[in-house]
Amino acid sequence: MKTFELHDATTVQQAVTLLGQLGPTAKVLGGGSDLISGVMKDWIQGKGMPLPSALVDITTIPQMTTIQVSGSGARIGAAATLTSIIEHQEIRRGWPLLVDATESVASPLIRNFGTLGGNINQRPRCWFLRGEKFDCYKKGGDFCFAVTGDNRYHAIIGGELCYIVHPSDTATALVALSAKTKIAGPQGEREVAFDEYFIGPRTDVLRENILQQNELMTEVSLPPLASNTKTAWIKLKDRQVYDFALVSVAAVVTSENGVWRDGRIVLGGVSPVPYRAKVVEDALQGKDIRANITAAAGAIRSVARPMSANSYKVDIAQGLIERAVLQALA
Amino acid sequence: MPQRSIDAFKVLSDYEYAATLTNEEWLSLSGNPEYHTLIADDPSLAEELIARFGMLVPGFSAALAAAASVPLTGFGPTVNRLAGRGGGSAAPSNAEFSIVGTSVPRTHGFGVVTGVGRYSENQTLPNMLFMKTLGSPYPHARIRSIDTSKAEALPGVHYILHRFNLPEGYQDVSLGSGPPFRYLFNEELIQVGAPVAVVAADSDHIGDEAIRQIQVDYEVLPAVVDFMEGTRPSTPKQWDNRLDGTILTIASPFVRGDVERGFAEADIVIENVTSMSTIQHAALELTTDLTWWSTEGARPQLTQIGPKRHAHGARSAIAQALKVDQSQVRVITPGYLGMSFGSFRDTDLPEIHSALLSWLTGRPIRFMSTRSEDMVTRTHRTQTRNESKIGVKRDGSITAFFTKKYGNAGAYRGGGGTGNSLGLAELYTIPNLRQENIDVFTNMYRYGSYRCTTHPNDTLAREPLIERAAYAINMNPLDFRLRNLSEVGNPETRRPFSNPGIRDTITQTAAAIGWREKWHAPKTREVRPGVFHGIGMACHECNHGAGGAPSTGSVVINADGTLTVVSGAAEVGPGERTVMAMIAAETLGIPMNRTRISPDVDSDFTADTGVTAGSRQTLSGGWGIHLAALDARAQLLDWGARKFVDDARVAGQTIQVSADQLDVRDGLVSFKDDPERRLPIAQVIAFASNPIIGRGAHIHPPTWERVAFATHAAEVEVDTVTGTISVTKYVAAHDVGRALNRMATEQQIEGGVIVGLGLALTEQLLVDGATGIPINDNILDYKVPTIKDVPEKIDVIMVENAKEYGVFGAHGIGEPPAALGFSVMVNAVYNAVGVWVEDMPLTREKVLNALKGR
Ligand SMILES: Cc1cc2nc3c(=O)[nH]c(=O)nc-3n(C[C@H](O)[C@H](O)[C@H](O)COP(=O)(O)OP(=O)(O)OC[C@H]3O[C@@H](n4cnc5c(N)ncnc54)[C@H](O)[C@@H]3O)c2cc1C
Ligand code: SF4
Repeated sequence: MKTFELHDATTVQQAVTLLGQLGPTAKVLGGGSDLISGVMKDWIQGKGMPLPSALVDITTIPQMTTIQVSGSGARIGAAATLTSIIEHQEIRRGWPLLVDATESVASPLIRNFGTLGGNINQRPRCWFLRGEKFDCYKKGGDFCFAVTGDNRYHAIIGGELCYIVHPSDTATALVALSAKTKIAGPQGEREVAFDEYFIGPRTDVLRENILQQNELMTEVSLPPLASNTKTAWIKLKDRQVYDFALVSVAAVVTSENGVWRDGRIVLGGVSPVPYRAKVVEDALQGKDIRANITAAAGAIRSVARPMSANSYKVDIAQGLIERAVLQALA
Repeated sequence: MPQRSIDAFKVLSDYEYAATLTNEEWLSLSGNPEYHTLIADDPSLAEELIARFGMLVPGFSAALAAAASVPLTGFGPTVNRLAGRGGGSAAPSNAEFSIVGTSVPRTHGFGVVTGVGRYSENQTLPNMLFMKTLGSPYPHARIRSIDTSKAEALPGVHYILHRFNLPEGYQDVSLGSGPPFRYLFNEELIQVGAPVAVVAADSDHIGDEAIRQIQVDYEVLPAVVDFMEGTRPSTPKQWDNRLDGTILTIASPFVRGDVERGFAEADIVIENVTSMSTIQHAALELTTDLTWWSTEGARPQLTQIGPKRHAHGARSAIAQALKVDQSQVRVITPGYLGMSFGSFRDTDLPEIHSALLSWLTGRPIRFMSTRSEDMVTRTHRTQTRNESKIGVKRDGSITAFFTKKYGNAGAYRGGGGTGNSLGLAELYTIPNLRQENIDVFTNMYRYGSYRCTTHPNDTLAREPLIERAAYAINMNPLDFRLRNLSEVGNPETRRPFSNPGIRDTITQTAAAIGWREKWHAPKTREVRPGVFHGIGMACHECNHGAGGAPSTGSVVINADGTLTVVSGAAEVGPGERTVMAMIAAETLGIPMNRTRISPDVDSDFTADTGVTAGSRQTLSGGWGIHLAALDARAQLLDWGARKFVDDARVAGQTIQVSADQLDVRDGLVSFKDDPERRLPIAQVIAFASNPIIGRGAHIHPPTWERVAFATHAAEVEVDTVTGTISVTKYVAAHDVGRALNRMATEQQIEGGVIVGLGLALTEQLLVDGATGIPINDNILDYKVPTIKDVPEKIDVIMVENAKEYGVFGAHGIGEPPAALGFSVMVNAVYNAVGVWVEDMPLTREKVLNALKGR
């Protein structure tokens, strides 16, 4: 691994100042399970993805590791570990979808280290991106190896230039739960809905979200679930521990007598961002869910543009949407 | 005649070439580590050679030849099924043993499960430097120039070694056969990761930065990435090759009868193509060596510690590469290691680079692979493609079988995972049989053994087709197998099986899984919406587990009556060392808690008993230890007899006692007819004045067709929405001869099943087709199953048909359990959803694509 400087921040303000002072190759450090033991250990770098020369540890900022729940929702510090979320009794009661999604991440070992902010902001897992010898668009190169190469795990929706799938399970759940995040930067703090947080390659192929280098995510807030609302999480993976979503579905369903009133169906593993399946939601609007889910799930095909080797993921996405919505109703 | 380097692989596969060898060249083969690895993995290779070239062949022995010349009796359909299976004439029941047949926990298990055992990684020396390798980024390229100046300027970098500054005399050193040659550093790089330069630095991290500061100018050359492409005449040759493209060998076909006539006689002829992906061992421990020179004494001495499966083989490979004497090399393999599963730990270039760097820097060198280096640059079980064809009659008989196998040897000259299937030759009655094998070089992952060599592929080339044939004639696959079973031995060599348990493995598996009740027509049992139940079976036979020379051991009975077992058999995980101790203790009547065996093997203190490969060590090291213990026992009883006589003399009596009147049990020497007259062993040793040293060396006579038999079956649920295959029940029955360590044998089978399922369902090492660069050379993307992915219960059945040739009747069990998963899964998936998916692994996209007809 390349040599780097390590700074322990004790306040958000100090972290922001450090990021500014240390310059463009300084990075925020959570648990390091992706940044250090992934990106840096494997020398994943390019013109558009320089290896960090300095890291600012934010797990040393006390307020960023806490979790608070009140009548108006939950507030989770971005440096809270995934395990602390899973073990939080009030989160378990109020937002089982987030807990299930978090529990499906990696393994207990990584969840003990990995933070919520780190999970949301981790870099994609495209195997070309993660290979030192492939200089692709996302690293600042001028080629996407997935287009001609083995793209069995790549995007089936919304790829362009780059065909990554967003790797984060918590992100998929947070979009479905209409969550928001607070971002701290030189200009102070701002709040952004996760709906606006993730960006596709068309907007900027070098990034997966709106965060700037000198900013950091400080917390995530969850509104309470509306009444008559049920949720479900399904994540399909090739291996039950240590595996990213092949396709995942986070379903939030508000219904009356089996009729869809409101809700969100968000897919992971299919698109460069957590993908909200509006086509399916629209097809269910005001309809009896059980009677219409099969046809509605089929609507996902209308937005899917599979690559040479991943049309099977379209079948799976369709099947899992149906299963997830029915599971939420059950 | 100018001296040429002998191509061990070619000697074993091309008899025309073998015929050109001079006597000196035959002799040089006996010191060739590659030759020994090849024949350890597949003993039948040497047998064929011996049949043709007799005493010229290393491993030939007069005793063997004499045994082979005795006309075989008892070869026939019935005679060899010893009366009372599991307890034939040569087979005492387990009750007659006190240690053998029980469950003995691993002698060094505590160090393994707690991690306190001394692994290679824990070994350090003051002053040691760390070695890092700069590997080729291309599958095929030529180095125009190397500039190391920037890297050398990094603080903490001590030495950079490459092709152009290799010490005098090492330019021509290559490992394995050629062409193309694998020199210590090639100018023409034939594989991604092939070493360009190595750096010795103060830490791994400094080395890691340094290799990235070395500037290399490469000329990129066309590479062969697809092995079938390598068979085409239009593919550019990479060496002066008489065959098309990069074909290495087209083996002489195996011919029995006339397959064309056989197919003409058949009512139905069915063909299939089965194929395997490249798979890798993914041992949790990364390859790690510590290497240093010492110069006490007249000559420099090299020591290397590392997780090897053959200390003496490594010693000879290192000595050969460094051009020193074997007496100048010492190799230690710690008994604590993160598994072997095959050849990928055998001496390779980094082990030699470490030795050179240690010499050049005068410091100990520690080398630890990265995961990617372990997965890319060492050996694999590589891709194969099997084109098979079976002819059957409606009455259920097989008229003919044909296979043509292509194997991807990767970037070296050697086998590519093909070979004549013993299972086809002798598991079923097949009057007309033809087998063809073609091995192809590619600029890709290199071939080697991984929990067996060619046999899992042999079984894949046969068992799904067997099942297809049964379905085609509307016969239950179980009945089809039983009807065609051949239980006699090898029809070509006429060597008989010893007490074969294949039928028992089939019937007991069928009973345990409830085959008769559960088997159904394909895609007829939907258990949940979109999810279908299926059941499948496969049989397996291979010549692994048979043992062979070298086969040595020694034991020492110490002054206090305890036993020290000295064996060169490397522990690679399954408990070899424990079994050696058990065999010695049983033979000598000394309890396990008074028996010691060290975990590690040191080439300075042990005799060679061959590589722990080919599932051979229970019979190889085991026979050596058994004979050593018998030798010690004879001496002990002899001294015992003298001691009884002397004790009587002191008491003023005169008696006559001979050794054959005595026995030894539970640490006591006693009279057979009067067990109360006894002496503790310690008293006998005191009387003898010296510890007793027993030695053993065994020659394995070729009397029997020594093979492993197994049958596995599984029930699965296949989800037609997700393509998920869930194994709900798995039964594995193996004819183990005798389970010496019951618990270890059972675990070995269980572990093998898990490995087999991982290989069948998710594991495959990939490359980018356009660039030839690996894309999943890490254990996240290369999907080894976790404990959450394996069936909750694996039923293990041990059929104990004691073998005439086995130590206490045992037959080895190392590899076979991992060989059936492929075929069982193919067959079960067909039964579940009615499509044949025969390209390994059975990923969900293949299953879904087959279901959609894509
Ligand atoms: C084997 C393996 C399997 C995995 N499987 C899964 C899986 O199934 N599902 C899944 O979702 N993830 C999976 N992961 C990813 C894992 O969950 C992440 O590595 C982890 O959550 C990241 O957390 P961290 O705190 O260690 O982040 P770090 O590694 O410290 O940081 C990751 C990135 O986020 C940035 N970052 C961290 N915190 C902040 C912050 N507060 N504000 C702004 N930027 C920040 C860092 O700069 C860095 O770029 C897997 C990882 C591994 C190694
Ligand atoms: S999909 Fe994106 S990350 Fe992957 S190779 Fe293409 S550009 Fe690079």
